[in-house]
Amino acid sequence: MIRSGIAIIGRRTAAALTEADMAASVKNASNFKSRLVEPSDQRDFRPIYLDAAATTPLDPRVFDKMLPYLTSYYGNPHSVSHAYGWQSEAAVEQAREQIASLINADPREIIFTSGATESNNIAVKGYSRFYKKKMNHIITSQIEHKCVLDSCRQLELNEGFEITYLKPQENGRINLEELEAAFRPDTGLVSIMAVNNEIGVMQDVEAIGKLCRKNKIRFHTDAAQAIGKTPIDVKKMNIDLMSLSGHKIYGPKGIGALYVSRKPRVRLDPIISGGGQERGLRSGTLPHNLAIGLGEACRIAQQEMAADAEHCRKLNERFRERISSLSHVTFNGDEEGGMSNILNLSFAAVEGESLLMSMSGVALSSGSACTSASLEPSYVLRAIGSDVDLAHSSIRFGLGRFTTEEEVDYTADKLVEHVNRLRDLSPLWDMLQEGIDLKSIQWGSHH
Amino acid sequence: MNRLTRTVLSRLPLKIAPVRPLSVTIPKKHGDFEWEDPKSPEDVVNVVYQDRDGIEHKIAGKVGDNLMFLAHRHDIDIEGACEAALACCTCHVYVETEDEHWDLLEEPTEDEEDMLDMAPYLQENSRLGCQITLTKELEGLIVRLPSATRNFWVDGAKPEHH
Repeated sequence: MIRSGIAIIGRRTAAALTEADMAASVKNASNFKSRLVEPSDQRDFRPIYLDAAATTPLDPRVFDKMLPYLTSYYGNPHSVSHAYGWQSEAAVEQAREQIASLINADPREIIFTSGATESNNIAVKGYSRFYKKKMNHIITSQIEHKCVLDSCRQLELNEGFEITYLKPQENGRINLEELEAAFRPDTGLVSIMAVNNEIGVMQDVEAIGKLCRKNKIRFHTDAAQAIGKTPIDVKKMNIDLMSLSGHKIYGPKGIGALYVSRKPRVRLDPIISGGGQERGLRSGTLPHNLAIGLGEACRIAQQEMAADAEHCRKLNERFRERISSLSHVTFNGDEEGGMSNILNLSFAAVEGESLLMSMSGVALSSGSACTSASLEPSYVLRAIGSDVDLAHSSIRFGLGRFTTEEEVDYTADKLVEHVNRLRDLSPLWDMLQEGIDLKSIQWGSHH
Repeated sequence: MNRLTRTVLSRLPLKIAPVRPLSVTIPKKHGDFEWEDPKSPEDVVNVVYQDRDGIEHKIAGKVGDNLMFLAHRHDIDIEGACEAALACCTCHVYVETEDEHWDLLEEPTEDEEDMLDMAPYLQENSRLGCQITLTKELEGLIVRLPSATRNFWVDGAKPEHH
């Protein structure tokens, strides 16, 4: 009796809600939308994504693999007493094997972290703090990622280490003789990234590894931009520590990994204390869905590495050919050996930010995302000897697995159009055309 | 044995049917060897244990003694939860006389390294106590116990030997 009464009330209330308010809500929605989105051609506006160096979209196959672990298999992988935990743990171990297989490591040598930044922190700070009685000197390069540079600086300022920041050559590569000359008896660690995220230069990782192993110095490399795009074999290349990132290889954000060599064994002081998960190096419940996503992304990358590389190489060539009508374009990086998916170009007499603004239909970046908040031009470009003016006018194009030829063509055409338009407006360009050396000008200043 | 024999034997009173022990050798417990005293002065190996409170214990062990069981005999505070089965890291010690004795110790096996990885407050001169066997060359070995093992309780309580 009561139940049917409530049902009647419920139905009436539900019906009342539906009829009276639906019309109102539809009206509200259209008002809201029309207030928000002004020009009609701006509706559903989404630029072409050409910033693959900053992050990559999640591969649908990775998403498919991750989804059950978000919805159904939610057990804590460290719960050893029930099937929920066992299922999650089994999938995490499978992910570990997939990552290890990509870099020719043992699955026990992989620990999951929250990303390459954390991996770099653990590697640089953790290694140095553990071995601080035997070592006092770290060698790194001036074009490392900010997390490596900042970790080194922390050690320098607060813990009394000495750091050598090697200057790269003009093409971005580290000179091996300079590296060897920097070795000291108390050098313990060399940290040089495999592929730079701003200019795409690839270091000779195998040669650096061999040099370090010969001198009994450990070698750490930040390979976030390298894995899945170029073959990395940690055993062949004598790498002791290596950082990986999920969202650079079409995996999820918020996960990364650190390869820690077992033979010869590398010990680290953990940054995060806790229950001793991940061999005591990184405590905390694993985000197993993210870890599984990273594993699947690595598996796909291993399968499709050659195809992706060829795809990016073709797109890169196509792009550069299509903009070849532009003059005074500087290629920042290593033209022969650099990665073809990261293209960093400077356009003389064009201001980078205004070019980016003009190219509103394409998502690009000037300099790396992590330094885009600062107003200074990229420190990487400065390290490779780029002029301050050219550094200000640099744009980074990131090509990826999902970039199409149409997108590249559109970007190239727009780029040519806007560079020419901005140069037409620029008095500096006129002076450049006339052959005046812009550096020789004494700009009047108000003292 | 056929069915008839089995039936007959099972119906016999116990003093006729043979009672077979499980073990055919004399049972010996782990750590028993360390309870034997050194047979001669040449056998003696002097070691020093520095425990968590900083107190030094000078112990006279003998050649072939396991460092952890020797400590148990003399009531030194090393926790040996797995009793030398290489399944835990609670007998973690620091080899203080690194310069003299580190190279004389046997290379740690991969399993020992794995267990050591999980020990808190790991240092470069860390080893598992249960993997160190005394030899004559290790005369004068000094080992220090870390301030806590994996089973640490913040109120300072220590697990008992079982």
